Amino acid sequence: MIICNYLAAATLFCLGLLAIMLHRDLVKIVLGLSLMEGAGYLLLVSMAYRRDATAPVLSSPPPGTSAAELVRGRVSDPVLQNFCLTAIVIGVAVTAVFLTVAVRAGQHYRTLDADKLTELQG
Amino acid sequence: MTAAGLLPLAVLAPLVGGAISPLLARWHRRLPLLAGLVAVTGALALLLVLAVRVYRHGPLTHFFSGERPVAGQALGIAFTADPFGMVVAITSAFIGLILLVSLLSEFGEVGRREVGGLAGLVQLLLAALIAAALTADLINLFVWFEVAALASYGLTGFLLERPIALEAAFKLLVLTSTGGFAVFIGAAMLYDSYGALNLGQLHIALGAGVNRSGLVAGALLVGGFAVKAGLVPFHAWLPDAHTPVPGAISALFSGLMVNLGAVGLVRLAVLVYPLRPGHHLLGLLMGFGLASALLGALLALVQDDLKRLLAWDTVSQIGLLLLGFASHTQDGMAGATFHLINHALFKTLLFLCAGAVVHATGATSLSQMGGLLQRRPLLACSFVLAVLAISGVPGFNGYVSLDLIHRGLQSTPVLEWFARLAQVITVAALSRGAYLGFLRRRPDEYDRLDTPRLGMRISLLSLATICLGFGVFGRLLVTRVAAPAAAVLGRPDYYARAALGLPTGPLPGSPVEFHYFAPGTLLPALVEIALGLLLAAVAVRWAAPIRPIGWLQRLHTGSVNDYAMCVTAGFLITGCVLLL
Amino acid sequence: MTGSEVPHRAHRPVLAALLAVALLVLLSLGVGSLPGEAAALPAIARHAMQIALPRWGQAEVVSEIVYGSRGFDTFGETFLLLAAVLSVTVLARSKEPRAEYVGESTAGRREQREIDPEQAPDRREAQAQSAERDEDDEEAAPAAPPPDADRMRLAARAPEPAEAMTVVLRVTARIAAVFLAVAAIYLAAWGYSPGGGFPAGAGLAGVVILLYAALGHRRLSGLVRPSVLEPVELGGAVLIVGVGLGGLIAHGSLFANFLPLAAPQTILAGGDEQLYSGAELVEVGTGLVIAVFSLLGLGHDWVPDDDSDRGAQDQ
Repeated sequence: MIICNYLAAATLFCLGLLAIMLHRDLVKIVLGLSLMEGAGYLLLVSMAYRRDATAPVLSSPPPGTSAAELVRGRVSDPVLQNFCLTAIVIGVAVTAVFLTVAVRAGQHYRTLDADKLTELQG
Repeated sequence: MTAAGLLPLAVLAPLVGGAISPLLARWHRRLPLLAGLVAVTGALALLLVLAVRVYRHGPLTHFFSGERPVAGQALGIAFTADPFGMVVAITSAFIGLILLVSLLSEFGEVGRREVGGLAGLVQLLLAALIAAALTADLINLFVWFEVAALASYGLTGFLLERPIALEAAFKLLVLTSTGGFAVFIGAAMLYDSYGALNLGQLHIALGAGVNRSGLVAGALLVGGFAVKAGLVPFHAWLPDAHTPVPGAISALFSGLMVNLGAVGLVRLAVLVYPLRPGHHLLGLLMGFGLASALLGALLALVQDDLKRLLAWDTVSQIGLLLLGFASHTQDGMAGATFHLINHALFKTLLFLCAGAVVHATGATSLSQMGGLLQRRPLLACSFVLAVLAISGVPGFNGYVSLDLIHRGLQSTPVLEWFARLAQVITVAALSRGAYLGFLRRRPDEYDRLDTPRLGMRISLLSLATICLGFGVFGRLLVTRVAAPAAAVLGRPDYYARAALGLPTGPLPGSPVEFHYFAPGTLLPALVEIALGLLLAAVAVRWAAPIRPIGWLQRLHTGSVNDYAMCVTAGFLITGCVLLL
Repeated sequence: MTGSEVPHRAHRPVLAALLAVALLVLLSLGVGSLPGEAAALPAIARHAMQIALPRWGQAEVVSEIVYGSRGFDTFGETFLLLAAVLSVTVLARSKEPRAEYVGESTAGRREQREIDPEQAPDRREAQAQSAERDEDDEEAAPAAPPPDADRMRLAARAPEPAEAMTVVLRVTARIAAVFLAVAAIYLAAWGYSPGGGFPAGAGLAGVVILLYAALGHRRLSGLVRPSVLEPVELGGAVLIVGVGLGGLIAHGSLFANFLPLAAPQTILAGGDEQLYSGAELVEVGTGLVIAVFSLLGLGHDWVPDDDSDRGAQDQ
């Protein structure tokens, strides 16, 4: 029942968003975004999954299947797995910048409370 | 090598320039920005040459990795240079060039590592904007969306001595990342449902009927790009991110980066999602556009920080752009395409002037400024000229594009009236800014007031000249440049064929015309300007903001949690409108 | 606004929960009507399976897509990582002398004054400030080594916490680092892992970070210097651009394969993909190390001190 995975991913995404909307600690907000990112990975890998399929590797097909069968499509979707790699790299990059900004903001404002980072309003 | 083979070089040049900039800074502090000039000039020249070809013979398509579509199914990535994409790419390259010149003159003397980082990030951002305008692949569009986003984070926080720079960077990060994840998940869901990544293939696949997951994916994509475009209610990062950065960087964000969101939205709403089977994508964008146009203008009217005023006006202008595109009439789309160029020109000019004042005096708010007409006539005159252009004074470029957009909305008079109301408020907001910031008398001297350098003066003069020139030759540019772009936007099947590398033939014709002195064009424009000046006078005389605007201002609490809620609400609205 | 009196935001939990639940319903509707596990693979994916061996000589299909069919996405990602690294270094940079007046700094000082609470620095802040002064004072004698890492004074200049690590830990880290490094390079060289250079580069960066944690910054400072890493990183970027241009020159298409195909599952399999993956290894490895070390080396804050500040104003 891959639909459970889909729903779990949707739930995680919304939980991450909830964290961003609720938590005032900058680091927890970053964690919320990481959770959303993780939800993305889960959804992608689950969408790539196919019943009775194997990994999209042509070198040593599992017993009982031939490479020709794999080529015809008895594998998980390699394109979505490729996108998942893309997402992971982007996640790392964004998190690095996020933490730097949080540290710098903390230095200026002497706090990590998002409600105190409100000099710019209106 | 064919002409299409040269397309990626327009992206490669600034990317390489961006990569080597931090190293060049070790040798000499002026090298990174000079390298940027070379790279972006190269890209601009290439794009101009290719644009001539595109306008003569039809779109160019380049397939990467030697991976051409097989039976209409494209695994690989394609760049498709349609007229609209070319207009956006050339605008980005040209304005980028001007911004590099002005950065070189204003920030060329700060620390070496600072210049290296600044020049590198600007070039990476420009490359991402050019690539996003040309790409015909949804995931690839997302990749460039993220490249632009990451470069913008560093640029927003560039002035580390300003606490609000870090605050703004954090808000920008939270909202843009949320938008980015949404775009990514939306694109992946579309692929899973329809097996398509190429925009043309996607259009054909969606033409057979959009199911529920296709609509939810659409909502995620639209919401994500709307964050980048700064549409209400996804806009909260925009005024914040423009306030604490150097003027040229504000101009880069306002004039160019928000266009990336607009490009995404236009490609999706006009070229990818089919128009017929009962969904309301265009109506939704109209709603967002109208809300942005009005809210942005109203809040611009009450700002005290000059750059924040201009940033709110960007919210308003991008809303107007979306109104034009979403009207889906030839007039509206041609007007919006031309307005995209014009907005980049005059908003860059405005931000460069504002940034130059901040850079020379350290004063950021209107109440600290004034008296610049006597002290810095060039700055004041450029600013006023840009205000005239944005107000749609006859003879300037804004006059032409605004009229076309308003004409495109004529089929729904309510929308047209609201758009004109937004224009009145825009005139008022900017005239108020020009009066308080530049024109009014100021008895006491500034503590410090450095003269703008040569590079800055060149940037200001060239932009001002082009604003005037594009007004004078407005008709020519509309019929030759904007109308063909709108014609392709009106023919998704044509774009789809081009994106899949099928023969397309020359560009479709377009009926758009423009007459300078038609009474229906001239009179409303003059009335809008008169009303706007009146409103400005009221706003200046009774400085206290009109009550409801104060209420709107208090809604923007500055808390990133509240802004995230706005974005979530925006996604919900999008989803509900599309599904119901 | 000083931000000192933050109003109570009672509406938030309720509103946020409502919004999140509503969005969950919306997303569930969307993911609920996805094709699911029984659907046939999209034609694009089947096409990728078919061309992986004949056109790219690559048995690992995900790697074939990453560095072959959709190599341009990976190219964009490389520069995305570069933009992130550049952003981090810009945000983590320390103050440099500026040759001319920057009005924005004046504005920044004004804004900082508005934010700063009117209270004396607390104990931790005072400690950090004194440590900063120590750092400026190059001649100061290093303090005696602390008995263990937990008793280090906050932000003290020397000695480093790593020197207080036990011998067991340091030796283990050295041995583990070798294994990790070999494993990472193996991953990239044989390309059997999806993505090749990306995970391998991350692995190599992990090795450096492990050594940093165990041996301390000073031991690594000869190796981990921007002046060494940045040219290497640039070399990686140039190599990637070169791979792309090679395809453009040979076949008129950026990132088309221009090298002969070796037998699958050998070290040279995959045409130019292996070159691309190797360049990516360099790029990702150095990029991550630069970013992490900028963040770790994040020095003085930019909050203007009252005395140093006045000099800057007069310049």
